[in-house]
Amino acid sequence: MFAEIRELLRYKDLVKQLVKRDLKIRYKNSVLGFFWSLLNPLIQVATITIVVKYILGLEIANYSAYLLAAYLPWAFFQMALLDSSQILIAHRDLLRKVYFPREALPLSAVLSNLVHFALALVVFFAYIIFYIHLILHGSGILVTALWLPILILLQTLLLIGLTCIVSCLNVFYEDTKYILAVLLNVFFYLTPVMYPAELIRVWLQKWNIPEVYKPILYKAYLMLPMNALTDAYRKTLLPITNLRLRGAEVQALPLDYVALAGAGILCILVGIIGYAFFNKRKWIFAERV
Amino acid sequence: MCSTIDLQSVTKVFELPCEKQTSLKAAVLSFRKIPMRTLVALDNVTLSMRRGETVAIVGRNGSGKSTLLRIIARVYRQTAGTVSVNGRISTLLDVGAGIEPELTGRENIYFNGAIMGLTSKEIQSKFDRIVAFAELDKFIDAPAKTYSNGMLLRLGFAVAVETDPDILLVDEALAVGDAAFQEKCHRRIREFQENGGTIVLVTHNLNVASEVATRAVWLDSGVVRADGNPSEVVQHYLIAAHQDQEESSN
Repeated sequence: MFAEIRELLRYKDLVKQLVKRDLKIRYKNSVLGFFWSLLNPLIQVATITIVVKYILGLEIANYSAYLLAAYLPWAFFQMALLDSSQILIAHRDLLRKVYFPREALPLSAVLSNLVHFALALVVFFAYIIFYIHLILHGSGILVTALWLPILILLQTLLLIGLTCIVSCLNVFYEDTKYILAVLLNVFFYLTPVMYPAELIRVWLQKWNIPEVYKPILYKAYLMLPMNALTDAYRKTLLPITNLRLRGAEVQALPLDYVALAGAGILCILVGIIGYAFFNKRKWIFAERV
Repeated sequence: MCSTIDLQSVTKVFELPCEKQTSLKAAVLSFRKIPMRTLVALDNVTLSMRRGETVAIVGRNGSGKSTLLRIIARVYRQTAGTVSVNGRISTLLDVGAGIEPELTGRENIYFNGAIMGLTSKEIQSKFDRIVAFAELDKFIDAPAKTYSNGMLLRLGFAVAVETDPDILLVDEALAVGDAAFQEKCHRRIREFQENGGTIVLVTHNLNVASEVATRAVWLDSGVVRADGNPSEVVQHYLIAAHQDQEESSN
């Protein structure tokens, strides 16, 4: 694997060019293009805010900030996976003609979405400072935001592993991209993006199982990488506040560092396993795309 | 003389799924292995090419010419045997392959160079030469989607050749472009040959094969049938093709 990484580093300018190309096409070569690309997540966030806050009656201070802190990482996760599912097929001509480390392609899908995520975070921080802090006199940027680089790094490793697997599978099985889209849809609801993870704990309390299993199950839920990451982004970027669901108080819990550490290890493992899975098959792509 | 390309008993067997559509859902639900058929594209090929040689690969469709080129390019991995290549390879792609329509000509030069394994710095030092050769100075900042086929070809050829590769792989791509540019390409190729560059080209144009090449290899069903002087090899190949035709018409 180290030899493969060394070879990839030799081609780092290719990865850079691929990322640059993605962003240029996405933003249509203009700063305005970047703001246009934020429109889609903003519409999503506005819609979810209306549904969750007003129709379902979940009361959290500054719900839209609360939602954005988890939705932006989720959008990074979703977009990187969807982009990568097609990326090998889309570069069929190159794969069949030129040698280059194949992982440059899924990696570029992750990195261009990472850049997009980072830019969106800048807008998010501006929103926190200028709206939440200066106008609503809420919290500003917290010291715990220093966790951000670590969270982003773990999510990037997780995505490298997953995009390696997904892009590879889509070469051999053409319906991979459709199955992926369905799974992402399901996991959007299972991951604590629109609601806090604590609500899963409340729900677990109602289960008819021995009490001792409940904390273990909740811990396991929190250890699944995207659950841990969305929860951690939210709890490090925004103050942890209690919430009310249709009048009933739900107690907010502090960030679970043990679960986060477990999830971190899983992210690294997925990254390594995904890359190895890809490497084992990457020289057949040219024959099959 | 040291050889730049050395193939020792190279065999390439393809395993391809029999079905056109392959579904993950079906594979997971039925645990069924997709039936595969095998195809021997190269059968125990031993070839070695020296610096400065221009080798034309001739043969019928499906004889393994492109497979051989892709094995040399490291796009395919051989099933058995050893392949060793000394030097940087540049591939002359099909017209427009590797060119991103939304990017400008300038951006495409960097993009294409990176695909060939060059760093941005290396491309920068060769940038002016590439633009001059491609005759695109006026259009270099226009998006490639506005380029004509001829312009795309010139851009591709310029990046492939002006980046100083040791080995140039050409797959049926020289036949386009106007007469003046073709003449220029041929001149550039001769210059490349004189400077000790190695060229491997696959072509159905037997005139090109005997004019440009210093050596020809005739591949037939994945086996080397003849190897040597281009006009002699082409002669052998033509006679055999003619005989085949007579046999099939009888």
